[in-house]
Amino acid sequence: MRQRVSKRLALVGGIGMWWLAAVAHAALPPSAVASGAPDEGDPRVEASLLVDATEVKPGDTFRVGVRFRLDPGWHIYWKNPGDSGLETDVAWDTPGTTVGPLQWPFPNTFRTPDGFIVTHGYDGEVLLFGQAKASEQLTGSLNLSAGINALVCEVHCIPADLMLTRSIPVGPKTLADSETTPLFDTARSQVPRPVADTGHSVALELDAKQLSPGQEFTGTVTVKSAGGAGVPTAEKDFFVAERIPGVAKVSLTQTAPGRYALKGKTEPDAPTETPRFKGVLRLGTSAAGYQPLEVDLPMAPFAVVQAAVPVAPVAKAPSIKDSLSAVKPVAGASAAPAESSMGLGMALLFAFLGGALLNLMPCVFPVLALKAYGFTRMVRQEQGRVGAHAAAYAGGIVASMLVLAGAVLAVRAGGAGVGWGFQFQEPLFVAAVCAVLVAFALNLFGVFNVGLDGTALAGKVDQSHGLMHSAGEGVLAVVLATPCSAPLLGTAVGFAFAAGPFTVLAVFIALGLGLALPFCLLVLVPGLAQRLPKPGAWMERFKQVLGFALLGTAVWLVSVMGGLAGVEGMTRLLAFLVAVSLATWVYGQSQLQEGGRKWAALGVAVVVLLGSGVAALRFEDTAPEARAASASSTMALAAPWSEEAVASALAAGQSVFIDFTADWCLTCKFNERTVLSRDEVRAAFVEHQVAFFVGDWTRRDARITAKLAEHGRAGVPMYLMLSPGAPDKPELLSELLTVDSVVDSVKRASECSKSRRQDGAKVVCAAGFPRP
Amino acid sequence: MKQVFAALALGSVFVGLPALADAEVGKPAPAFTLKDETGKEHSLSQYKGKVVVLEWTNPECPFVKRHYEADTMANTLKGFDAKKVVWLAVDSTGHNTPDKSAAWKKTEGFPYAVLQDASGATGKAYGAKTTPHMYVIDAEGVVRYAGAIDDDPRGKNDKKVNHVQTAVDAVLNGKPVPASTTTPYGCSVKYKS
Repeated sequence: MRQRVSKRLALVGGIGMWWLAAVAHAALPPSAVASGAPDEGDPRVEASLLVDATEVKPGDTFRVGVRFRLDPGWHIYWKNPGDSGLETDVAWDTPGTTVGPLQWPFPNTFRTPDGFIVTHGYDGEVLLFGQAKASEQLTGSLNLSAGINALVCEVHCIPADLMLTRSIPVGPKTLADSETTPLFDTARSQVPRPVADTGHSVALELDAKQLSPGQEFTGTVTVKSAGGAGVPTAEKDFFVAERIPGVAKVSLTQTAPGRYALKGKTEPDAPTETPRFKGVLRLGTSAAGYQPLEVDLPMAPFAVVQAAVPVAPVAKAPSIKDSLSAVKPVAGASAAPAESSMGLGMALLFAFLGGALLNLMPCVFPVLALKAYGFTRMVRQEQGRVGAHAAAYAGGIVASMLVLAGAVLAVRAGGAGVGWGFQFQEPLFVAAVCAVLVAFALNLFGVFNVGLDGTALAGKVDQSHGLMHSAGEGVLAVVLATPCSAPLLGTAVGFAFAAGPFTVLAVFIALGLGLALPFCLLVLVPGLAQRLPKPGAWMERFKQVLGFALLGTAVWLVSVMGGLAGVEGMTRLLAFLVAVSLATWVYGQSQLQEGGRKWAALGVAVVVLLGSGVAALRFEDTAPEARAASASSTMALAAPWSEEAVASALAAGQSVFIDFTADWCLTCKFNERTVLSRDEVRAAFVEHQVAFFVGDWTRRDARITAKLAEHGRAGVPMYLMLSPGAPDKPELLSELLTVDSVVDSVKRASECSKSRRQDGAKVVCAAGFPRP
Repeated sequence: MKQVFAALALGSVFVGLPALADAEVGKPAPAFTLKDETGKEHSLSQYKGKVVVLEWTNPECPFVKRHYEADTMANTLKGFDAKKVVWLAVDSTGHNTPDKSAAWKKTEGFPYAVLQDASGATGKAYGAKTTPHMYVIDAEGVVRYAGAIDDDPRGKNDKKVNHVQTAVDAVLNGKPVPASTTTPYGCSVKYKS
């Protein structure tokens, strides 16, 4: 119905307008009409100053406009002229009256015959107008002037500079001009209206989350009409884009009614603000009537990429570091506070406490339980030796800590960056630890015995071997502790890694002592050991249950191997573990034999172990895409971390959360499952539009190692919260996250960016957004 | 799998063909060899080691006329070290002839060559859309600026920013060009059709 009416209106309007125009024109004073763009003497454009009222009451609104009439074949330009041409300019001089922005009817599109140059504008006739408001103080008459600067083109172009003036009497009532009002109404109906005013909704979905300078991009624009009615199809040239800073060109192609494929290309200079998709859309057909819409939607932020433009004539490209210096903290500057704010004493204390806390972490717990079991027996049976065993256990821990420190120093001397847990980036190490765990578990199941001499089957405990056993448990505790991190531990180890060899050793020893603390306490606090449960038949069962706990830990390491070396690597490791089991079983059998048979069995065990090891333990680095179950896939919202991506998110005004993690890092996995994937946390991220990045340190990554060091850390997890309000002051979150700590941090970052916006360029939120 | 990738790669080549590769900032400038108004050949490669300014022009265009009345181009060129910067006008107007260019050059009295591109091939390779349309190419042959001569399309501002001057100065000093792409203004290039 509506379309039919508009069609009829258009028809009547078409005929009527010509007549009206002639009348309106005749009624105008000579100063309100001018012609210009002379072409061999003939003017090509005629402009007249029109008002939709014959008399205006002070304070009332009315419309003023300039009607252009062009010779056939000639045109003037829209606000975005396109490839060439010049925007038509109307400058108002209307004392006592204000004129609003120029209203532009939907433009035509002009193409050169080869289609190489495309411009937008008007041919024939057009009325460009604005809403005017007369001042309350107006008396006498209302004077209107319009200065026009237009480029008038056919094949060649001629500029037109015209000045139009007229006056309207001021009266007690505003009287509509019945001749010009229909002209204004027709023009009004051709001016695109903001989508929201029409009841339609328009959505833009880009195929990429970010725009890259000088690159093409694609997307989809969907238009939904009010009340779910079908969206009319569109005719050729239905879309004209405005000039969008940062975007060189953009076009829409209709793929279905209401659905349009967007294609575009960005300019090589990325703007600081996210470009907005702005333009006008004309739905409908000439037969059924048009509905022009004004579209204005945010696109996507620009990614900061290495500038393709070399800085000097000699191809010396600006480094990413240079281009990021504005938002990236200077490495030295941020590492310095960590060093200066903490002395060696504090680092040792942190290391000791961190080590003690490690006992509560899931990685060490099976060993802890095992040790507790051992102590239970000892306390009852051989009280005198508890101290010796505790010492052996602590000794094993400290010794392996020293080995670890030595390895760190050696690797560091070799020039490579290392961190806490770095050895888990090495498949062979993972395989070895896994084998030890399985062997340990089989020992607990009774497949073989440790510390029992074959000739002393009566069950006589060999004292030195018993102590060795305790020391071995200490070693295992350290080995298993490294993929875990605890509060304070990261800071302490980070401090050590940035310091000299002596400090590294001291911090690692303190860490070891902290780890050994619970058992040292059992010895040192009188009576505490006595409170352990009484030994009995339960202990044998408990021992076997612990064996399963160790197998569980082995399963986790197998998954770590999957991350490092793929399914192939996992298969090889499992095959090797079967061989290890077989070898330990054969060894267990040998313990029952005597003489030649015993040695033969031992030989078989060694051959099985070595043979399978050589055959199976060849791990190749998998391509990243083969690592399906890598750390980054655990967080659905996450994007892979890179300095560039972070910088562009910050530049786009987004807060940024970075999760530095690794598959083998149990603390990381724990945080991801129990905190970061919680609905409250995700809701906070979404609400405050936080960009979530994951830095996956499962395998060696020098960039991440360096980033950890920059914040005084040597291992994962590390959580950084960055606010666009203070991009150089990231907040370092604790290794053990809580829902509240993350949500609060998100809020602080968001507030910080707000306060900065209000305060201009000055960073005012440093106090409310501190670096711990 | 490999075949799929090969097919995709092949497909993208065909899809890519019809699109004209305009001269883009940060990318090598399209090569050309054109005769000037005297019949002497100029090719971009012979100016390697120098900064080359290309000016798309058409003496009939009011915008070009305005700039030549104001000596915008000649004054801009004067500000540069002649040993390091080469200025070339290119006329891609379909109906242009060397004689017209020679007469125009004589009237306006500027020193640089007017390259004859009546076929429009070079103009289209650069994506030249307006007269004037300016390009700055560095000593390595990389486009470093594309766009308008200045920020005053209507020729009415008292203070103008001469984009070409800014761009050439930046390139000579080894600095990034501040606004490396601007929207050119003027008449459309009157290509042969």
